[in-house]
Amino acid sequence: MAEAVTVEGLEKRYGRVEALRGISLSVKRGEIFGLLGANGAGKTTLIRILVGLARPTAGSVSVLGFDPNREAAALRRQVGFMPQSPALYLDLSTRANVAFFGAAHPHENSGRRVEEIIDFVALRERAHDPVHTLSGGMKQRVSLGCALFHKPALLLLDEPTAGVDPPLREIFWKHFRDLAASGATIVVSTHQLDEALACDRLAVMRDGAVLACDSPAGLLRRGRTTVRVKCGDAIEEARIESTPEALAAHLKHAGLSPEVASVELVADTLETIVLDLVRRGGAP
Amino acid sequence: MIADRIRRTRAVGGRVMVQLVRDHRFLALALLVPVAVVYLLHVFLGSVNSPFFDPARFAVPLGAFIVHFLTYVLTAIVLVRERTGETLPRMFACGYRQGEIITGYLTAYTALASVQSLIVLAELAWLFELDYPWTKFLSIALVIWLLAVISMSLGILVSNFARTEGQVLPFVPAVIIPSIFLSGVVIPPENLPAWARVLGWFTPLFHADAVLVPLLKSGGSMADAGWSLAGLPCYGVAVLALASLTLRERD
Repeated sequence: MAEAVTVEGLEKRYGRVEALRGISLSVKRGEIFGLLGANGAGKTTLIRILVGLARPTAGSVSVLGFDPNREAAALRRQVGFMPQSPALYLDLSTRANVAFFGAAHPHENSGRRVEEIIDFVALRERAHDPVHTLSGGMKQRVSLGCALFHKPALLLLDEPTAGVDPPLREIFWKHFRDLAASGATIVVSTHQLDEALACDRLAVMRDGAVLACDSPAGLLRRGRTTVRVKCGDAIEEARIESTPEALAAHLKHAGLSPEVASVELVADTLETIVLDLVRRGGAP
Repeated sequence: MIADRIRRTRAVGGRVMVQLVRDHRFLALALLVPVAVVYLLHVFLGSVNSPFFDPARFAVPLGAFIVHFLTYVLTAIVLVRERTGETLPRMFACGYRQGEIITGYLTAYTALASVQSLIVLAELAWLFELDYPWTKFLSIALVIWLLAVISMSLGILVSNFARTEGQVLPFVPAVIIPSIFLSGVVIPPENLPAWARVLGWFTPLFHADAVLVPLLKSGGSMADAGWSLAGLPCYGVAVLALASLTLRERD
């Protein structure tokens, strides 16, 4: 099966609140799939449904070929989940936390695996310290380590870099790329646009709906380019499609006459495109 | 499969035990409070100025009530803390199951409750000069210990229904106060109206008292309790099953 995750017409209501409104998407095996959206977009609800912590109101879900509601035990042997809050025992050490969450899974040498995880998240010097003495970024590293213990085929990461400083975020993303390179599928929610660019594909979400689902390059192609042609004292500005053909067609009428002093091109950034998508609610 | 379940239950029990042992303040209070409360019970019962009143008659049932109250309160908050700290859903997402979490918690807290029960019984024996044969002491210890374990199960069950620590508070009097009125500690249950007697069956103290009253009589033994002996274990199994079934895994 090429798809790690398939979601069709997924709805989730909490009383009167519609957290998800008929979402459909699929995640290929081995890809880093981003869920991009503001708070309340439905990213956490979707991830909780994928790991079987929330029951959908309607629609179907398949994760690694399992139904998260009916086959949660089998599914969870292959899924690593990192919640938005660190969700750790603050009075226990890094080592004890990794060992405890890891103990849920059978392992031939769990002690050695705990040490491997501690090295992987680079917390060897703080392995004995209670988690409450660690910084926010260190807690996130412990939390990531707990999710990786059983070498899961699918990692569900809910805003793993929330509150993490830029250098550490870079380290986290290096980990994610390494894990994806080793064959793991990663679904990661974020509201950071630079992180979205590092994903293979993205679902842009708002108010429980998917507005667009594409690669970052595909999303960038949806943007437009602003062309400013300075001709003498006059500046002519136009918005055109971000393709070489559109640019050539636009410049034809101005030509390259001696009066053209400069041609400035400003392409839409992913931020502009996403904000525009969100503002328009995904409509073309 | 069974080995996996045992491993996970041991992991929960071991983790909770480490947390309990490291929390020195909690541990000290959990062990010192029963000592102080039993002493106050001695002062209270010793102050009843009547030649017809035998403090020793009430000492053990009220001591059992103290154990019931303290162990119930200790555990009524545990799963709420796990829920608010998001560690409960994480445990589920890792593969821990309801029964393993409940049993793991119960195992760890049973160690603490056992020490509490022994302290209470030893202090009762010393202060009230209880002059029972050692077999009777052993029987009383067994009943009080069972009551402690069942009260913890009840606390865990109650903590399933609270989303915040504040929501636990109304459950404390809701369980404890009916226990005093309906369990037979103060008034024999047969003196109560039929509907109140039925309500009394739902309190663990009722079942403990049904064994303790015949046991404490002169020459009494566990055998005198008859079918009532089955009441406590059955109540415990029912509460544990309910606690496992009501521990919500999914929103």
